[in-house]
Amino acid sequence: MASIDLDKMLVKIKSSQWALADIDWDAPGADLITDEQWPKLKAFMADLMWIEHVGARAFAAMAKKAPTETLREIYTYFHAEEQRHANAEMALMKRWGMLDGDEIPEPNINLRLVIEWLDRYADEMPVYVLGTVVPMLEVALDGALCSFLLETVDDPVCHAAFQKINDDESRHLGVGFTVMEMQGRSKTFIQLTQMVAPLLDPRLILGIASYFPLLNKMRDNIMEMGLPEEKLYNAMRKFEKIGGRTADGRRNPWFQIISRHGRFVINRNNRFYHAPVDALVKVTQYIPRRALPAVPSWVKELTYRPAA
Amino acid sequence: MNTPSPSAKKPAKTGGTRKAPVKRPSVKAVAKPVSVLIIGAGFAGLGMAIQLQQAGIRDIVILERADAVGGTWRDNRYPGAACDIPSNLYSYSFAQNPNWSRSFSGSGEILDYIHYLVSHFNLAPYIRFKQNVTGLNFDENAGLWHASIEGGDTVRARAVVMAQGPLSNAIFPDIAGLEKYKGHTIHSARWDHDYDFSNKRVAVIGTGASAVQIIPELVKQAGFVKVFQRTPGWVLPRPDFETPEWNKALFRKFPGTQDALRKALYVTHESMALAVIWNSPLTRIAERIGRLHLRRQVKDRWLRRQLTPDFRIGCKRVLLSNDYYPALQQPNCKLVTWPIDRLSEQGIRTAEGIEHQFDCIVFATGFDVCKTGTPFPITGLGGRALHDEWARGAQAYKSINVAGYPNLFLTFGPNSGPGHNSALVYMESQLDYAVRGIQKILDEDLKMLDVKADAQAAHNKAIQARLANTNWNSGCKSWYLTEDGHNVTMYPGFATQYALQMRTLDEADYRRTPMAGG
Repeated sequence: MASIDLDKMLVKIKSSQWALADIDWDAPGADLITDEQWPKLKAFMADLMWIEHVGARAFAAMAKKAPTETLREIYTYFHAEEQRHANAEMALMKRWGMLDGDEIPEPNINLRLVIEWLDRYADEMPVYVLGTVVPMLEVALDGALCSFLLETVDDPVCHAAFQKINDDESRHLGVGFTVMEMQGRSKTFIQLTQMVAPLLDPRLILGIASYFPLLNKMRDNIMEMGLPEEKLYNAMRKFEKIGGRTADGRRNPWFQIISRHGRFVINRNNRFYHAPVDALVKVTQYIPRRALPAVPSWVKELTYRPAA
Repeated sequence: MNTPSPSAKKPAKTGGTRKAPVKRPSVKAVAKPVSVLIIGAGFAGLGMAIQLQQAGIRDIVILERADAVGGTWRDNRYPGAACDIPSNLYSYSFAQNPNWSRSFSGSGEILDYIHYLVSHFNLAPYIRFKQNVTGLNFDENAGLWHASIEGGDTVRARAVVMAQGPLSNAIFPDIAGLEKYKGHTIHSARWDHDYDFSNKRVAVIGTGASAVQIIPELVKQAGFVKVFQRTPGWVLPRPDFETPEWNKALFRKFPGTQDALRKALYVTHESMALAVIWNSPLTRIAERIGRLHLRRQVKDRWLRRQLTPDFRIGCKRVLLSNDYYPALQQPNCKLVTWPIDRLSEQGIRTAEGIEHQFDCIVFATGFDVCKTGTPFPITGLGGRALHDEWARGAQAYKSINVAGYPNLFLTFGPNSGPGHNSALVYMESQLDYAVRGIQKILDEDLKMLDVKADAQAAHNKAIQARLANTNWNSGCKSWYLTEDGHNVTMYPGFATQYALQMRTLDEADYRRTPMAGG
């Protein structure tokens, strides 16, 4: 994957828009979901939908901090596109009878904590922090989850929807890796050190405290659904491989931090990492939902309806 | 609405000894050339006619393409339309109105004031309605402008004043599928007063100066309103009050008190230049006021984020409203910030994949401000075309004359726009300047009064250097700038500076060609 021209990419993004109305959600094939698949798929789709939605909010934060007008506009579109993916995935859930009326599926507690963090602090984060974490999430979670889904579900409408979603995602990753390289380019040692400084920011530390358990929790959920653990780890290695393909990319300290963290995650034997994070996962399950503030209003924008 | 009965003060003018009778000049090609042709019967055109008349020049024709006077205020009659500058300042100093019903009057009252100007100054005989000018050509042998009119007529004139207005041509946004939408469409500047909004699903595209006035009214009338926003603007509180009767009586009885208020408003607005035009500590204060206004009126964090501007205040037009934010939070209103992908048969498709369906779409998307062209072809000396010369951005000398186009005067010309004060204050300076130029042409019997190209170039070099340090050129996209970021609309300074610039007509900057033997 070579570095891309962002102006041309913006034109491409604008000309590649699609809508839920482009898909026939009532087409035959819904019955291809087996009774055995159904409950697991319901939980899986809910997680997937929420990850897309969380990604959308992260792109919204990146748009605020984008260093150029072109990137600002690209991230504004990516914000909307991730929302579109979440909407389309909800439409699939509706098609498969997995939605209770018009209710939005409940996010798991770790997602809920990430939503809360994004709502409060994401806009304050420098663009290179989210600019590295988001491609990681897209490659690792989105990528692994989507490919698993398409391998296990035969419904043609699901395949049609994910063909469109994956086309969008490939553009998101192209831009993501290009920006990571831009952030590492021509930086002095001092500038690179300054990029690491937010690690001392208590707001970011809170973010890390919600991000680490989310990854482990998702890993556990995915395993439960039957996705081979190795698939997830391959996706994480992909992040390290593509992000580190150029000297500029490798010079980005946030790439180094996130990819090294990726290595911790995929090394089950690293008890030094997994013991405390798994403990955090357990602890977070005891947080009473009542203790959390009301979900932010951006969550209420989700819909499975093609027309409003 | 009160019928205005402004206290008109006739400005003392000297130098005009011509006693041409007021008669209806013919518009036929064979007719004798007129002294002055004014294109447009809005604030600028009518103000020009009044000032020329005061200077003793009455051989005037005003060509108006519509069938009524009023320009912007005739066209912009959407619900809630009002001025953003206090009425006591948004009116001519030589025709003040003691009866403004509010501090910021609505469009109907402003239009009444314009009608008052026509009747009080007896301007009707000059005006020819439904005369759409399609081209202007300068005949350098005769020293006359030829104005071609749709339908074949021509008017010849010694001098022409362009008063067609910067905000006269409504534009629709460049959105794919615009022609596909089958519901009702309305442009804010061409309001459909017969359309019944009750129980209708309505979209408003745009959140600029017109939109923030329309939306609160539409929310009261329509079933559901969705507002499509691309960039949130800075919204400041609008100190709008009803004028008590005693106040009107005071102004009527002691006009000096209204003069004093006008001067106070003028000085207050001048001080706003420090916040709006240049980046100063006052800019921070103005932004803080904007943020406080938003915080006070919008409690939801996400909505507040959607409405928080990400550019410096002043870079785009500052909006004034007390009821825009509350309207957006009504149960029958929703702000949509997803990028618009296209229009479909039934509504608007946005990038989050949803088709928002409507009975009616209101385009509050502004005007074509002619930054890189002219409203119709204008041909000057040696066949030069102003449209071509302005293709990369309009420029003029002191905003009013253009080299190579003698005897032509622009109102609201390039770099004459105010960001902080009344446009009519700037207008009065332009009218005075044009009167001086036209007097010179007529009194000295000049074939051509043409500004020198080097004087124009020097003026623009200085203006552009000053613009580089203003908030307008601080990085946002706005209708003040051309596609390549050139600012050809705004004047980088105080209104007082602009008035000083326009106070003298420097003969050394002009080439004068006498009629005889020219």
